[in-house]
Amino acid sequence: MSEKQERSHKAQKVLERMGQKLNRQMVGSLVACVHCGMCTESCHYVLANPGDPTYAPAYKADRIRKLFKRHFDWTGRVFPWWVKAGSVFTDADLEELKDIVFGKCTNCRRCTMNCPMGVDLATFNRMARGLLVSVGVMPEGVAVVSKDQWETGNQMGVLKEDYVETLEWMAEELEEELGAPAADIIPIDRPDCDVVYSINPREVKYDPRSIADAAKIFHVAGESWTMPSEGWDMTNFGLFSGDDALGGSVSRRLYEKVSELRGKRLVISECGHGYRSTRCEGPNWAQYDVPFEMESSVITMLRYIKDGRIKVDKTRNAQPVTYHDSCNFARSCGMVEEPRELLNLVCTDFREMYPNRAENYCCTGGGGAMSMSEYTPQRLKSGKVKAEQLKATNTEVVITSCHNCVDGLTDVIRHYELGMEVTQLVNLVANAMVIE
Amino acid sequence: MEQKEYGGKTLEIDEDGFIQDPNLWDPAVAADLAKTEGVDDLTDDHWKVVNFLREYYLEFNMAPMIRKLCKSTGFKLKEIYELFPSGPAKGACKVAGLPKPTGCV
Repeated sequence: MSEKQERSHKAQKVLERMGQKLNRQMVGSLVACVHCGMCTESCHYVLANPGDPTYAPAYKADRIRKLFKRHFDWTGRVFPWWVKAGSVFTDADLEELKDIVFGKCTNCRRCTMNCPMGVDLATFNRMARGLLVSVGVMPEGVAVVSKDQWETGNQMGVLKEDYVETLEWMAEELEEELGAPAADIIPIDRPDCDVVYSINPREVKYDPRSIADAAKIFHVAGESWTMPSEGWDMTNFGLFSGDDALGGSVSRRLYEKVSELRGKRLVISECGHGYRSTRCEGPNWAQYDVPFEMESSVITMLRYIKDGRIKVDKTRNAQPVTYHDSCNFARSCGMVEEPRELLNLVCTDFREMYPNRAENYCCTGGGGAMSMSEYTPQRLKSGKVKAEQLKATNTEVVITSCHNCVDGLTDVIRHYELGMEVTQLVNLVANAMVIE
Repeated sequence: MEQKEYGGKTLEIDEDGFIQDPNLWDPAVAADLAKTEGVDDLTDDHWKVVNFLREYYLEFNMAPMIRKLCKSTGFKLKEIYELFPSGPAKGACKVAGLPKPTGCV
């Protein structure tokens, strides 16, 4: 295609901004691919669509790589035909790119684990998403959720009074069982606590049972803890949309609130991308020097049991269960052994799913895919390998430490009629806990 | 977008099975949507939940918090999940003709 072809305003902006986004890690991944094909079979989309080469990670990566080669790498200037350099010109080109970077990859990073060159596709796939978002090209769901998170501070637009009322409601439900007044069961905005607990808005909006379970555990452990009235959403659509400014704005809200309350530790409820965003990426996005510790509630619960702060009777969870490793929690943050250690303390029949740990397959809902309805049919089709994995465990319950995976797995289980239940560690721990 | 026959009408549904035009919703449509969510018969208790969701949506253009749903219908959280096994967000909202809730659900 001739370089003299005119470019749309959006296409021009995407290319200009790409130069500002490239860093050494990304360039390393963009130049390192030798097209060996090792990644192909590692991707759940490929396994469900064996006849369609456009799902291959290297193919998807090349849709972004061609821009890099053409505009930022000398090889593309000298022999563009050889290195398959190319460009984007029209808004339709951007739409096509959108359907690849949002619709054909969940940024799960399984291909990276299987790449001998260490190409991190998810990192530059996320960059490409961010470039498209910066010119307003994105799935509608991503736009809606990002807007809510920018404007209200949480991704489901939950109002402060509704959030506080829900916490009070959960505390009241526990009054009788715990023999304590509601205000002591879920303390709100209490300063100088050892633990400040942050959650996923999904918990407060649709299913606060996990909040009640966590509150019960903190209470019985005698923890000095609180939930903040604001800055409580530890999820972050900036990770999915590639918008670092959104990522920074959301994580800064949490950090500032915990600092204001002089909390010693921020505990993050079971959510893969929320953990990664808040604990690992957020300080960089927000340029914030975090003065307190941050940990997953999985670690907190494990410590309570090991230190004897809570007692558990694992025979209360006697049904066979399996565990699904979340891509962000396990593959990207290395949280693989801790959830297993906890599982073996609170249930009697834990059975591994294969492959597992960092080699586990995506739930299909990674990278914000649950919010992009337009891609649901291909997402469910890609769940074939997940369904086979689940079925082979011969269990009826799958545990996961990620809210996104709860929904992704629930969809797969329904679509493939597996009749399994999905739950989280907090529910198992609360169920096994002996209250004296 | 896909078309489906619900309650004797041809309706547009999104890829997750939510109807697109809430104005075309009626009790017969709800009954057919319920079947897709594993609820074969809509009892009075189901209707209490469905009617509240629909009225709330028509007034505020969004799905209510689970707190509001429980408070207004008098059901406990556990009972909502017994009525709609797929939960309030994807199950009950779909039956009440709401669009798919936004976010990680």
